[in-house]
Amino acid sequence: MSEFQLTEDQQDCLQELINIAMGQASDQLARYLDTFVYLKVPSIESVDAKDLLQILSQQQNTMAVVSQGFFGYEGIRGEALLAYQDEDSGRISDLLGYEPGELSEDEQLIDISSILTTTFLNVFARQIGNQMSYNAPKLLPSVQNSMSEHLQQISFSWDLALKVNINYQVTDYSFNCNMILLIPETAIINIKHVLDRILAEF
Amino acid sequence: MFDCTTYMPTKDTGKSVLSEQVLKQVNRQIANQLNTGVMVLDSAFNIVNWNRFLQVHTDKVSEDIIGQSIFHAFPELPERWLVRKFSAVMQLNTPSFCSWQQRHHLFELPHTRPITTDSEFMAQNCTFLPIETDCKSKLICILIEDVTDVCHYQEQLQKTLDELAQISRIDGLTQIYNRRHWQESLKQEFAKAQRHDKALSLIMLDLDYFKLLNDNYGHQCGDMVLIEVSALISALLRVEDLFGRYGGEEFAIILPETNLAGALELAERICRKVAAVSLSYNDEAIKVTISLGVAQCSGEESSYEDLITHADSALYQAKAQGRNQACTATT
Repeated sequence: MSEFQLTEDQQDCLQELINIAMGQASDQLARYLDTFVYLKVPSIESVDAKDLLQILSQQQNTMAVVSQGFFGYEGIRGEALLAYQDEDSGRISDLLGYEPGELSEDEQLIDISSILTTTFLNVFARQIGNQMSYNAPKLLPSVQNSMSEHLQQISFSWDLALKVNINYQVTDYSFNCNMILLIPETAIINIKHVLDRILAEF
Repeated sequence: MFDCTTYMPTKDTGKSVLSEQVLKQVNRQIANQLNTGVMVLDSAFNIVNWNRFLQVHTDKVSEDIIGQSIFHAFPELPERWLVRKFSAVMQLNTPSFCSWQQRHHLFELPHTRPITTDSEFMAQNCTFLPIETDCKSKLICILIEDVTDVCHYQEQLQKTLDELAQISRIDGLTQIYNRRHWQESLKQEFAKAQRHDKALSLIMLDLDYFKLLNDNYGHQCGDMVLIEVSALISALLRVEDLFGRYGGEEFAIILPETNLAGALELAERICRKVAAVSLSYNDEAIKVTISLGVAQCSGEESSYEDLITHADSALYQAKAQGRNQACTATT
């Protein structure tokens, strides 16, 4: 097993931490957005950068991808990608409580992405006794194949990534989006240290 | 900014540590030398603190600003939108961002390159951060970065890219589509017509005795004729028609949602107009005529190239029948 793979215990621990963080995050989001937010049980897997490219480029009709970097203490860092499909995002400004025409479609996507990413990661960071900082979210250019193109650009610096897939649904506003957290190799080792510490305390 | 926790001077370790008092001074000076605007609001959106950057760029006096509502002090701000943004910061305890790419600026601040850029106000990236303190209510910190340079260069780049894209599609002499772009367009229109079962017609046309014209009057005269005839034909087309220079003195027109009869009618009109116009070169009147071949997609073509072949053979027929006329493909 590679040093970047999580052990079964580590994987369970991370899954549990993410589940708890998701619960709290969806609660906070529901209060803020004043509607129910559903999050499916997330999937966590280690993926080869090459395979990741393939998996993500297979996701057809992705309309937009918003990227936001995050970084905390103890070398925990990564990139959150939020992928939207065409039909999922018609009522975002409604959902966010803005007046029609108050902000552009791009800004709506960036706004909701930032809210989802930072709310979840803030709670997650608290679970592991950490604190996150964030880059400004960016809409990735060129809609078609933007995901795979983007990954092609970043993936050469690491071979393996921890991929956490979280699906957000707000049925009242027929909103749906996929959050993919990509954590590069060196940060995986740092996360493993944190998980081991939590497991030892447990 | 630095975390202002107390570092007690420890004599035993010999490490150089700063007292809280000194650290405060250091932090204040750094805050005031930053090339970033820093502003702190209370939960009612009154300004409780700001740094020198903002003081200098707004040209306002601290005494007039501190304690004021931010919307009163900066009436240019989009209040409703910003209040919603602030409430997310406080309620979710998360940072929020506003990029120049979506909103060029929030605060109407002057910038340092008014001569060399064309924007009146400083382009800004703004960050809104939740600040927790010992006192009960939360504060919001606004960071305002000057990104006028980035914005300027990005706009220049985009302009250049647009120009390049334009140049790569256009024939330098006649200013209509070049062969490559025209053919790419035909490929797309052909696929579209097949998918939606729509009519699609094609006109191929050629200047009559163009070689003779070049030999008698010179290539500059030939170029003039190509330019004038292209302009004349362009003026007769609909916006959705795609007119390109196929090569040399040969041109081609893609006519979406047009049947053979419609295409032939247009071809004959173009033929008459070109024959009727009188061009002049070095004070000499020059008459030119063209021959045209018209074809419609029958649905049996295996590729767009077949359509070109059909229109081409109709053009050959027009030439064979004496030029200055339009013919349809006999399939």
